[in-house]
This record gives sequence, C-alpha cells and structure tokens, in this order.
Amino acid sequence: MKSDRLKPALLLSPLVLFLGLAYLVPFLGVMQWSVTLPEPGFGQYGKAVTDPLIQSVFFRTFRICLIVTVCAVAAAYTIAYVWVRGTPAQRLVTELCILIPFWISVLTRAFGWVALLSNRGLINTWLQAAGIISEPLTMVRNEFGVVLGMMHFLIPFAVFPIASAMRSLDERVFLAARGMGASRLRIFWSIFVPMTMPGILGAGLMVFVFALGFFITPAILGGGRSVMIAELIYLRLFQSPDWGLGAAISVILMLIVGALLILMLRLVRPNKMLG
Amino acid sequence: MQSGHEAAEITANGIGKAYGDFHALRDISLTIGSGEFLTLLGPSGSGKSTFLMILAGFETPTSGTLRKNGADITAVPAEKRAFGMVFQGYALFPHMTVEQNIAFPLQVQRRADADIKRSVDRIIDRVGLRGHEKKRPAGLSGGQQQRVALARALVFEPSVLLLDEPFSALDKNLRSSMQEEVRRLHQETGTTFVFVTHDQSEALALSTRIGIFNQGQLQQIGTPKDVYERPANRFVAEFLGDVNFLSLSSVKATADGAEGLFEGHPMRICAPGQSVSEHFAIRPEHMVMFEQAPAEGNMLKAEIGDITYLGAETRFGLKTSGGIDLVLQMPTREVKSAFQPGRQVWAGWPANQGFFL
Amino acid sequence: MKPTPIAVFLAFVVALFLILPLIAVVPVSFTPARFLSMPTDVWSLRHYQALLDNPAWLQSIWLSLRIGILSSVIATLLALMFSLGIWMFRPWFGSLLFGFVLLPMVAPPVVSAITLYFFLTTLSKMNDIVAYDTWVGVAVAHAVMIAPFAVVMITVALAQVDRRIDLAARGFGASVSQRVFKVILPNIKFGIFTAFFLSFVLSWEEIGVTLFITSVDAVTLPRMMWMGLRDNIDPAIAAISVILIGIVISVILVKTAVTFKLSRRT
Repeated sequence: MKSDRLKPALLLSPLVLFLGLAYLVPFLGVMQWSVTLPEPGFGQYGKAVTDPLIQSVFFRTFRICLIVTVCAVAAAYTIAYVWVRGTPAQRLVTELCILIPFWISVLTRAFGWVALLSNRGLINTWLQAAGIISEPLTMVRNEFGVVLGMMHFLIPFAVFPIASAMRSLDERVFLAARGMGASRLRIFWSIFVPMTMPGILGAGLMVFVFALGFFITPAILGGGRSVMIAELIYLRLFQSPDWGLGAAISVILMLIVGALLILMLRLVRPNKMLG
Repeated sequence: MQSGHEAAEITANGIGKAYGDFHALRDISLTIGSGEFLTLLGPSGSGKSTFLMILAGFETPTSGTLRKNGADITAVPAEKRAFGMVFQGYALFPHMTVEQNIAFPLQVQRRADADIKRSVDRIIDRVGLRGHEKKRPAGLSGGQQQRVALARALVFEPSVLLLDEPFSALDKNLRSSMQEEVRRLHQETGTTFVFVTHDQSEALALSTRIGIFNQGQLQQIGTPKDVYERPANRFVAEFLGDVNFLSLSSVKATADGAEGLFEGHPMRICAPGQSVSEHFAIRPEHMVMFEQAPAEGNMLKAEIGDITYLGAETRFGLKTSGGIDLVLQMPTREVKSAFQPGRQVWAGWPANQGFFL
Repeated sequence: MKPTPIAVFLAFVVALFLILPLIAVVPVSFTPARFLSMPTDVWSLRHYQALLDNPAWLQSIWLSLRIGILSSVIATLLALMFSLGIWMFRPWFGSLLFGFVLLPMVAPPVVSAITLYFFLTTLSKMNDIVAYDTWVGVAVAHAVMIAPFAVVMITVALAQVDRRIDLAARGFGASVSQRVFKVILPNIKFGIFTAFFLSFVLSWEEIGVTLFITSVDAVTLPRMMWMGLRDNIDPAIAAISVILIGIVISVILVKTAVTFKLSRRT
C-alpha cells in the first residue's frame, strides 16, 4: 500500500514545502533577529513593553481598532440586513455598494478619502462654495481620517459573515413569533439579533484582527501624526534601522493576533464564517 | 446480458469496524451466495451501510476477513474490486451526459470505443432510457436518474452489484415500479445483488434472503418467510412488523412444539425446531376473529377496543379478560357488522402459527 | 420580515459612505492644477495624458501584470493540489496542515512583510532572479500571500461537490488521476477560475508586502501610486484611480447583468 501514502503526499507537499521555506523558516529568522540584534538577549522585548513611545502607539492602536470595530460592525449589520431581507431593488443597490469597494484596492480607497476630505477636496470645496465655512475643515492627516478610512476598508469584510448568519435563519421562526403577537421591534431585538450573534461576534473579531495589522490606510490618512503599530514596525526597520526592536514588536503583534484568532475559533465555528 | 464475469460468492468472516471506542460493526459473518439477492435491513445507525462500504472496499474492517470466490480481498481497495454500486442519491456525474455517465466505467477499463458504444447502447435500451442519451442528470426525473445509476453500475457486468438505499428519494408509486425493474434486472443478469434498505416491506418483497442488523450486529439472516415468521429475537420480530406477545404459564414441551396456558385458555403450539419458552408471539394478521368460540385451534376471549380502517385491511385493538392489549388485523371484506367496539369476541389461530422468543 | 423604512434609510447612509470616496476621485482627476484640487471652471485631461506620457506608469502596469499572472498561476496550482489532497484523502493531520497554509492570510500583513523581506534578502545573497527588488522575487512573495485565499476558494468549491461521485468513480476502478481529471476538476472549474481571478486581483493590488521587498527596480503599479501619495499628492493618482475604479465597476456590472439574465431564464 505504499502508493496510498505517496499520492496524498505528492499533492499536499508542494504547497506545504513552499510555505515552509518561504514563510515559516524566514519567520523563525525574524524571531531570531528579535533576540540577537543589536545584542543577544530579550532586551528588545523589554524595550518594546516599557518604552513610553511604543506603549502609547500600542495604546492608540487598540483604541482606534476598538472604535473602528464597533462602528464597522454596526454599519455592516445595517447594510447586511437590507442586502439580505430587502426588496429586489434594495438588494441590488446594496450589493453593488458592498461589492464595488470590496474589489477596489486599499490604496485607491484611501486616496478616495483624501480626495473627499482634504483641504481642497470635494467636501471642503462645496462647503466653502456654499458659504457655510470660510476656512477648510481639517479632516485628514489625523485620527478622524484614519478611523473613516479603516471603517471604509473593513465594512465589506464584516458584511459577509453577518449576511451569512442572517441568511441561515429559518423564516418560520419569525412567522411563529408574529403568530404569538410579537411586534416587529420585539422580533428584531429578541429574536433576530440574538440569532445572528455568532455572525456579529465573528465579524467583530475578524475586523479587530485585520485592523490591528493595518498599515497603508493609517500611513496615508494619518499623515505620520497618528502612527499605528504596523507603521511603527515599518519605521523601525526602514527609517531608523533598529531591526531587533522592529522584529520584537512584530513577534508581540503576532502573539496578540494568534490569541485573538484562537478566541475567534472558540466562539465561532470557522465553517460558519465561510458561509 | 452476456455475462463477462460470473456472479461471485462473497464470504465475510468476523468482520468488525471500530472508530475509537465506538463499534460500528461487531463480528459479522455471513455468506452471500452467487447470484443471490441479499438485503441488509436495519434502522439507521445499525451498521448495514458500514458493512456495505466494507463490501465495496471504501472502508477497511478493523477485524475479520472478506473473501470473494475463496480469495482474500480484505485489503483490496475499491478501485481494484470493481463491484458495481448504486449510491443513495445516485451520485451521477453532473457534468456528463447520460451516455457519458454510463460509458465511464468502461472507459476506466480502457475498452475499445466500438465495444463501449455497443455496451452502452444495449444497456440504454434495457433500462428504457432511449431518447435521453444526450441529457445531463439535472434534466432527468428521479426515476430516470435511478435508471442511469443502475445502467452505469451494470454496464461493465460486475460480479457483484451493491445498492445503497437506492429508492429512498422516490415517491411510493415510482418506488414500486423501480423495485420491479431491479428484480427483473437481477433475474436477467444473474449477478449477485446486495441491497441496503431500512424499509422492511421493500426487503420482504425483493430479496432471496434478508440480513437484519441492529447496533452493529447481525441479528438474523434468512429467507423473507423465515425471518418474518420465525424471527430469532424480539428486535427482529418487532422490526419486521407488528407482533403480539403472550406470556404462557405451565409450559411443557411436546413432540412437535409445546403446550401451555394463557389466562386459563389451553394453548397448543406446533413449532418444530424452535426452543420453547413462556414468551409466545403472534402477528396480528395471523389471528382470526370469531363471534362464537371456534371449534378447534388456539383461542382467547377479548373485547373490541378501537377499530382502524386501513383500506384493504382493518385493524382491531383488543383487550383480553386479563387486561392484555392485543392487535388483530384482517381483510376488510371479512369484517362482520357485529364487530363493534365493546363487543366480546374470540380471537383464534391455528396451532402452526406464532413463534417463541 | 421586511426592513422598516428607518432600517432602509440607515442602510443607504452606509451605502453612500461606501461609495462617496470613490465618486470624489472623479472630479479631482479632471483638475487642471498640478496639485490635488477640485476643477473650478475648466475640466482638463492633462493628468490622463500624463499617465501615457510618463513611461514609468506603463512600465509599472506591465510589471504588475507579469507579477500578477506568475504569482496567481503558482498560487492557484499549489492550492489546487493541496485542496485536492485534503479533500480526496482526508488525512488525519489535515486540519493542522490547513491551519498552517492559512497563516499568511491571518497573520498581520506587516509581520508577513518582514518575514518575506527576510526571505528575499537572504535569497539575494545566493541568486539574482528570485531576490529582493526583482519581479520574480515579488511574484514569489505574492504567491505566498495569496495562496491561502486560493486554498479557501477551491476548498469551498470542493465542499459543494457530492463526495459520492468520487466514491462512484473509485468503485468503477478509476485511478487517482482519472478521478481528478475526469470527475473532480470538471465540477470545480468555476471555483478554480474564481480562485485564479481573486489571486490575480490580490496580487495586482498588493502593497503592504511589496513596500518592504522592493525599492527602485520592481516598482509595481500600487508602489508607483504609493510614491505619488506620500509626498505632494500627484493628481495623476486620481486619473489612474478613476481608470481602476471604472474597470472594477464594469466587471461587476457585467457579472451582475449576466447572473440576473441567467436567473430570469430559469
């Protein structure tokens, strides 16, 4: 029965070897950096945890991610609700508004926010032309711009698990509730929302994990003023070459994300997330 | 069909299948005779499908051996066994036409194109699919899909055909016409058929023998008449149909059976070869209802409870003077107008009916 | 239970939020000014002209196309073999392997970026082809990043296949390659195509990792846009963005129209 073991191995091994060599081994190399550069030891980890600047970046990252997660999931729930249960015309419009941004690159989308919010952008130009304001409002290159840009990127991702939870509901449950005389509001809050809770939790954790590693959007919309953890790693590596510290922060970030992912797998079965 | 392969005899010896601590099958030993139509019958989870998968070679048993015409095939994988198989839900290839589906087993065996065309043509006529050759499975009715599945499994003239609950998706009328079709194909091909079902009437109607499974064990194997009228245990008796249980007292064995008492009525049971006990059982349709005590045979006095009209048959709930509930079933045309609820009647049966458990 | 008017209104506010930044790009791309601004009186095509005149833009598009095709071919092929192996043989360590190959998808992009930077700079010491700041090097790095997505897409497609058709093929004596080519692949064609398409789009758009592993030679289109976005914002970015948005919208509209037509027909 030798060929019985050989055939699966032939199919499975190319990708496993490829990712082992191009991902796992180099990642171990990065971990090695974190304990050897500039000198051997766990000094870089100590610095990453105690340095007030790095602490404040971690703190800001968590704060922004939390705000973005709550807002993005709420927005995603709203649009997913109409996408799943609306009239055919409503479904078509919402579907297009979800899919079009989803397929457009993160750069283009961040640039769209710049075009919309910058001093000579769409909103400021209109408001000034209408005489509502005399001086342009500062809406980018600060935390406000970062939060909007990240929400915009993450809402479509949050929509999919929520919509799949909504689709899997049995319509007869609502008919039963109506038959018992429940009001629409009551059905929504006591039946619909609790039954889609796995989708909400899954979406929330996914958005939070994605947001933690965000790099491009904060870099463009934050304008260096609202640095998040991923951008900090980039700066440590390429601007003030400090390889060991950059690697140490990366490993810490990876551990946090790993812990959150394990939590996510406990809370939501992964096959539900795939729909 | 010109038999390319002779029908095969399969012998299972002590087959067991365990998943960790869970034993799906325990110690199954049976012989499937060449050209036989054997049905594996049992409730869901009884192990009958696992046993079929082991016969097909999709699962390897954790213990025991399997032989085909005497040769050990326990470790031979499904690909090399080449038994025909009809799956629950048919498992037709959705991307192929009817013709291509049926030709697949022959192409796998690298038969010559002309040979393939001839065999496919012949079997299409045989199962009545002429005119549908170019259709895809999605464009066929349930019955037609079933025919394609049968044709595909029989086209390469396998020595054994395995059928896994093939009729479970069909409605009642289609089901009985497909049953006839399968029986006809069995007679025409002479191939060994192994059929899995949970429907006892299907099993009784089709099989030369029935093997009854429960909780991973083979309870009994025998002809339909055998297992129905002489079930080996209470499970088999109840699974195959309704049955009344009577506890006899003062039982003593006689030359050809036993004698005993039930609620004071003398009972004489003629059951050669059965081991005698006080647990006597009789099926509802084997009892006859009388207004007056019959002249001979076993009998007991009871009061009619509820009456259920079933069309050709009518079913009576009876209560004996000792308070035991019984069921009696008889042809509706033999029901007398006097048989009304509350009425005292006699239920009787000849000495050669009924069995001990 | 149909949504109430309030729910519909809120959903359209969200929809507007999602679409508005994409619309804002359009007028900006027609500004006659050299800096990012709204056109006031005159609408100009000069920034579109700039895309054609500056060879760097066309070069970066050509580079991104090559990288996209090579990386998605590698990723789709490896992912297809892997997913088939898991689906057909269901090895007991399957879920462990599955979790491993999804790592680049779930790890923070910046961590993957450093990892691939380490990988390519190490290789640079050994060869010039698969190396830091080369197009093949970028394609290999992209293949690492997109392979998990291809695995997910193909696994989802395989999950729709009735396992019994594979059992049936085995029962008729089909070999592993006959099962793969005659039975399984024809039934997941669409899933493989989707995986390839998604892989290409992901590579075409990739910037997080690309920033770390390229410098002056392998300037992909996103990298080119990034450079124009960081300093004084070049309105040519608006022009290229409008073109990219236009492509996405037309593909989605065509797909929606086709599915709509198909659903009407049946």
